[in-house]
Amino acid sequence: MTPGLVVAATVAAAAVAALGVLSTVLGRRIGLAHLVGAGALELVLVVQAVVAGLALAGGHRPAELPTFVAYLSSVVLLPVAGVLWARTEPTRWAGTVLAVAAAAVGVMLWRLLQLWEATGG
Amino acid sequence: MAEERGNTAHGPGRVLVALYGVFALAASARAAVQLATRFDQAPLAYLLSALAAVVYVVATVGLVRGGRQGRRTALVACALELAGVLAVGTLSLADPAAFPDETVWSGFGRGYLYIPLVLPVLGLLWLRRRPYGWMP
Repeated sequence: MTPGLVVAATVAAAAVAALGVLSTVLGRRIGLAHLVGAGALELVLVVQAVVAGLALAGGHRPAELPTFVAYLSSVVLLPVAGVLWARTEPTRWAGTVLAVAAAAVGVMLWRLLQLWEATGG
Repeated sequence: MAEERGNTAHGPGRVLVALYGVFALAASARAAVQLATRFDQAPLAYLLSALAAVVYVVATVGLVRGGRQGRRTALVACALELAGVLAVGTLSLADPAAFPDETVWSGFGRGYLYIPLVLPVLGLLWLRRRPYGWMP
């Protein structure tokens, strides 16, 4: 859980969200670019989860540990759920579905970072 | 396009389901932590928090399932949700001491970009519009 990883993941999430909204505006289904973007986002999130997991195992205690763990596991699953839910949608709205998932990831990342840096007892 | 009548999880409805899903997840996680770790500090607020989580889950399931039963379930959940966000929003501003910890519905959902306030309205509009046919 480092600011660098959070920024990288946020950039990826913002890119996926923008691509999603763009395809809705253009009236297109999601394509390869969306899947690649979501895959890159997922990769950064998994790396971050591993880094955070190792630090937790090493004794780092963020504020509200249960919330932190719940968010950390949700944030890794969100892009996967978003892609699955968007892929079966044959209309332009698939992009917005993906954008919703990516935006949620973006918000949760910063909440995670807040919890991580406010070390609790 | 072979869309069933009364199917609520396609087109814009799918976006709605995604939003509801995210909120079901967020509200459940928050309520579970609050109830498990500090229920005695503010029982009312945390029970409302849990109620919000249940309502989001039920609305999500109703919208995904669609059909007559699913629509009715989603309709009740969206109406409850609107009532809840208005009631809790007002109470949390009128009596902040009763709500020491943010819930999804505090201050009309200000901690969540006011999406909790907008979501039930969108849900009700969507459920109202659907019987007249499917438009991509």
